Amino acid sequence: MSEFLEILVDKFMFKVATDRLYSAEGLWLKSEGNRVRIGVSDFFQQHNGDVAFAEIKAVGKEVTANSEVATIETMKVNVELPLPISGKVVEVNPVLSTAPEAINLDPYGTGWLAVIEANDWNAEKTHLLEPLSYFKKMKEDAEREINR
Amino acid sequence: MPGKKTFIKFVIVPCSGIGKTFGSVSREAAYIITEDLRQDDTQLVALAKLVMGEASAVETVSGNPTITIDGCKLACASKMVRESGGNIMQEFDVLDVYRRYKELRPDGIAELNENGVKLAQALAEEAAVTIDKLKVDTKVGQNA
Repeated sequence: MSEFLEILVDKFMFKVATDRLYSAEGLWLKSEGNRVRIGVSDFFQQHNGDVAFAEIKAVGKEVTANSEVATIETMKVNVELPLPISGKVVEVNPVLSTAPEAINLDPYGTGWLAVIEANDWNAEKTHLLEPLSYFKKMKEDAEREINR
Repeated sequence: MPGKKTFIKFVIVPCSGIGKTFGSVSREAAYIITEDLRQDDTQLVALAKLVMGEASAVETVSGNPTITIDGCKLACASKMVRESGGNIMQEFDVLDVYRRYKELRPDGIAELNENGVKLAQALAEEAAVTIDKLKVDTKVGQNA
C-alpha cells in the first residue's frame, strides 16, 4: 500500500506516492526487480483533464532515454511523455485500450501505463526526482497555475 | 382534466459548462436532438434552471423521462436531474462518445470547429436511436 504526500492547492488536492521516483514531466517510475513500472502522477492527470486516449509504445519497442514512450490525449491537450530512462517495453496496461479513464481514477494503481525492462536502472535513476523533490516542484507548478 | 391530451416528451438536459469545448458539444447535440432529429418527442431544459430550483423546470424533469448529456466526468447534468427527482433513462457523456469517434477531435467554445459539430451530430444521432428504442419500450409519446 502506497503512502502519499498530500497538499491542497486552492480547492484541488494533489497526492504524490512516496514509494517511487518521478520525472519532471510527471511520469512516475517504480522499480520491480530489474523492471520498472511507469505511470503518471496525480497532478499530471488532474492538470491535463479527463483522458480520452492513451497510446503507449508497443511491447518489444526499445525506447532511448528522453524519447517518447506514450501519448496521452485528454479533453484539453495531447501530451507526449518522454521516458527518462532507456529500456524495452515489456508490458502495456491492457486496461487502457478500453478504459483509459483508469489513469484519472487511479493514477498510482490500476492506471499504470507500461512496464519497462531498464537498460541501466541503477545509473539512470540518479537523474530522477525523489518524491519530496517532485512534491515541491509539483506544489510550485500547481500554485503558479492557480495564480495565473 | 377530461379530454385533455398530454403528450409526454423526453427531456434533454445538457451540460452547462461555460468555456469548455466538450460542454459546447453537449449543448450543440441537445439543440440538434430537440430542434432537428426528434423535435416532436423531446424538450430541452436548461441545467441552470434546475440549479436554481425553478419550479416549472423541476416539474418537467420529475414528470418526464430524461436524457442527460454530460460534458465531463463531474456529470453535473445527471446529478442535478437526480436531485430534482428526475428519472434518467439514458446518460450520455461527450468524452465516451468522442472515444468512439476518435477522428472528430472537437475544438472551440463559442463556435465549435467542424469536428466538434460532427461529434455533436454523432452524439445526437445516437441519442435519437436511444429515444426511438425507449419510445417502444416505455410508450412515451402516447397520450398520458
